[in-house]
Amino acid sequence: MSTIVKQAIEDLLKIQPDTNACITIIEDPQSPLPSDSPLFGWPIAVKDNFVTKGHLSTAGSKILSNHVGVYDATAVLKLKQAGCVVVAKTALDELGMGGTGLTCFTGPVHNPHDVSRQAGGSSSGSAVVVAAGAVRMALGSDTGDSVRKPASFCGIVGVKPTYGRISRYGVIPYASSLDHVGYFTTDVMDAALTLEALSGFDPHDPTTIIEPLQPFASDLKGDLSGKKIGVFRNVIDHIDNKDTLALFDQLINNIKEKGAEVVDVFYDETLLVTALPTYYIIANCEATANHANLTAVNFGLQQPGEDLESIMKASRTIGFNPTLRKRFVIGSYGLKDENQERIFKKAQRVRRRLVEELDHVLSDIDVLIAPASSSIAPKIEEEDIDKLSAKHLISENYMVLGNFSGYPSMTIPMGSIFGMPIGVNITTKAKSEALMFEVALGLEKAINYKNNGKKVDL
Amino acid sequence: MEHINKKQVLDLANELNFTLSDQEIDEIIDEFDILVEQIGLLDHIDTEHVEPMVYPFEAPIAYLREDVVDHVLSVKDALSNAPKKKDGFVIVPKVVL
Repeated sequence: MSTIVKQAIEDLLKIQPDTNACITIIEDPQSPLPSDSPLFGWPIAVKDNFVTKGHLSTAGSKILSNHVGVYDATAVLKLKQAGCVVVAKTALDELGMGGTGLTCFTGPVHNPHDVSRQAGGSSSGSAVVVAAGAVRMALGSDTGDSVRKPASFCGIVGVKPTYGRISRYGVIPYASSLDHVGYFTTDVMDAALTLEALSGFDPHDPTTIIEPLQPFASDLKGDLSGKKIGVFRNVIDHIDNKDTLALFDQLINNIKEKGAEVVDVFYDETLLVTALPTYYIIANCEATANHANLTAVNFGLQQPGEDLESIMKASRTIGFNPTLRKRFVIGSYGLKDENQERIFKKAQRVRRRLVEELDHVLSDIDVLIAPASSSIAPKIEEEDIDKLSAKHLISENYMVLGNFSGYPSMTIPMGSIFGMPIGVNITTKAKSEALMFEVALGLEKAINYKNNGKKVDL
Repeated sequence: MEHINKKQVLDLANELNFTLSDQEIDEIIDEFDILVEQIGLLDHIDTEHVEPMVYPFEAPIAYLREDVVDHVLSVKDALSNAPKKKDGFVIVPKVVL
């Protein structure tokens, strides 16, 4: 075992009691496969909704708490073939259906910068282990900002590439038309190299993009001169946190000095406030259908029962947490014959309108940017929010546009407020990852804040 | 405004093959009102002549591959997580009485 991998395992064990980031720490990992990839030897973590051969693959749910993978998800296989060493399976909101990191069956995940705060979700554990400097990269998944929001809360880079860029084969689904494989690193260059290793057509996932990603990482310079950067004005206008706005203003000034053209862009707000409800409807409906197979008959944690129906009922009642069962009820309501047209299909039509408006907004700019969250990571015991406020509907949840459209979107650290990090989100047109990374690198240089694998002392 | 009642919630839970406590049912009924208000926002959006968007991209994805056996999961592997199994079958209580 290399020194780096040994250190990674020691660090994971050290941070585990305070962060609860991992479901499995692999203390006897496989040796790296031979490879001349720049990722060779990287210790990495994998979100536990990725099936990994020979290890628990639970998707954070009690009903899968005894499920051991019999094959590797394509993304995991590719990283192993690049010489990466998987040292942990990380905690997540149950079945990927959450945004706090508080609903994994193994208990809440804590932010390594301040353990009284959440890490965000659903890719909470993966964000934490990278932010704490324990691993160099971690896989996550992003259905409605589940990589990009925890990246902001934990002060690291979080990437959601174009839909289909990375195979979802072997990823336990949440909502298949919104799910993306994503990942975390401590800096933009590592993120670029990771995308090159992960991308590619996969015959096991027919939604993967057939044309290969052209190599771009070695050409990155972070040159912002001449780039037209759109500031997402609707998001800014609904942020009331002065510190967040001050950091963002400082960023804008920095990038103007680097030669970028910065313009305000506006999105039809009547449409924008529907983004989150549209997401809930589509996501809950698709998830309800996807998880109908979790019956504990062929696999999973089975509860006793006198007949098949009572076995399934007991297993699903005990196996899913109450929040999940509530969301399945809502999803099922939307899928009923009498409701499908006015709820589910209506949401799918509004989705198309939302994406068309995003196309219009992106048409005259290179990238769209805004703070990835209105504030730093909330306290775990935070009070209830107003779910109908524009702040909640827009500035906290606008990143779902990246899932509706499938367009590439990433978060990088923007700075810190009272020692807690906060990120900026960058979104661009489909299949334009090279442009997105060029701007991200430029912003990273302008901001001069990198987690840099800095170990967070707990 | 549209509301959901206890019987509807119980029926849905039954179809979904799980049970809910009385408290969980009450919470669903309360949260349903918020959902309805959020759905109401969608009613303000004109979607006449707009096709539902099922996937982000509508690029062709159908393809044919060579007729070569690939990525086989053995019976042993396929059943390795089955709670009860015997002779290559998953065991369940008798269904047909």
